[in-house]
Amino acid sequence: MKHFEKIKKEHDPRKIILTKTEVNLPAALTRDGEPANNKKMLHLRITDIGIILLALAVSVASLFLFQSLDGAEEVHVTTDQGQWVYDLSVDTMVDFTGPVGITTMAIEDGKVHVHKSDCRNQLCVLAGEIEHGGEWVACLPNNVFIVIKGSPEAAGEGEVDDTSF
Amino acid sequence: MTRRSDIDIHLVALLSAVAIFLSSIEYMIPKPIPFMRLGIANLPLILALGMLTWREYFLLAVLKIVGQGIITGSLFSYIILFSSVGTIMSAVAMFATYIILKKQVSRIGISVMGGLFSSLGQLLISRILFFREATYVIAPLFLFSALISSVILGVFSELFIKRSTWYASQGEKRI
Repeated sequence: MKHFEKIKKEHDPRKIILTKTEVNLPAALTRDGEPANNKKMLHLRITDIGIILLALAVSVASLFLFQSLDGAEEVHVTTDQGQWVYDLSVDTMVDFTGPVGITTMAIEDGKVHVHKSDCRNQLCVLAGEIEHGGEWVACLPNNVFIVIKGSPEAAGEGEVDDTSF
Repeated sequence: MTRRSDIDIHLVALLSAVAIFLSSIEYMIPKPIPFMRLGIANLPLILALGMLTWREYFLLAVLKIVGQGIITGSLFSYIILFSSVGTIMSAVAMFATYIILKKQVSRIGISVMGGLFSSLGQLLISRILFFREATYVIAPLFLFSALISSVILGVFSELFIKRSTWYASQGEKRI
């Protein structure tokens, strides 16, 4: 009985309140002034969702920035002298002049490749043929950048991602 | 907390040390494209909002850039241009977002904003100086990966803030 009373005394609710006030709990309120009981909850506010959607929109927009939607595939060439556009379905061979010399681009059977270039490493020639929208080949020393824009139905959505990687 | 006009050098030093430590952790993680980063080194920049004045905040950003440059060995290469523009852009974006929206935005929103502006800044540099037209090819991949990693980082910082007693003991010092 005596023992029980002792316990009772120790668990006096007033005492508990006293000890609670004595202990300084800095985390009783979070910095935002929210109660600490939802510590493990993540508060995704409406502005957060808005910002995430904005970032998502920018990301998706960047996908379309590159692809023209008209479906016709065009070969865009950018050099020091300017920009040219060629039809992918018409076979041609064109010379472009850059700081190193002449880069020759060839369009054959709906495919583009650098036929010849005066650059030293010949990476552009070794890059081989490109044929789908989004693919590119460049001769960096000679500042010649060739890219196919627009994609017909034949080239699937995944094609762009493949070339991105 | 008393308002001081001088810089709280201890807190800035601690946070930039954490940033440099996380940079070295990040450096060990293999990545598919050299410029692509997880951005875990930006964690102190996210946490520091509300603790530092704008001067201290941008001092922290500069220390992070220099520290990261030393750790990755890119301090005197062109890569430093990418990382500095990315960090400064994201620091400005995050600070502005915090100041304007304050309690209406969680660290997740702030982190996504920082990640978005960091990658936009880097794409801009890439567009102007290096890859020109080819930038558009890497842009979607770059932006999507930044979005995913910044959401993860934001969730982590939000959980850290909710649970850390150290963070709670810092209190709302300034701003």
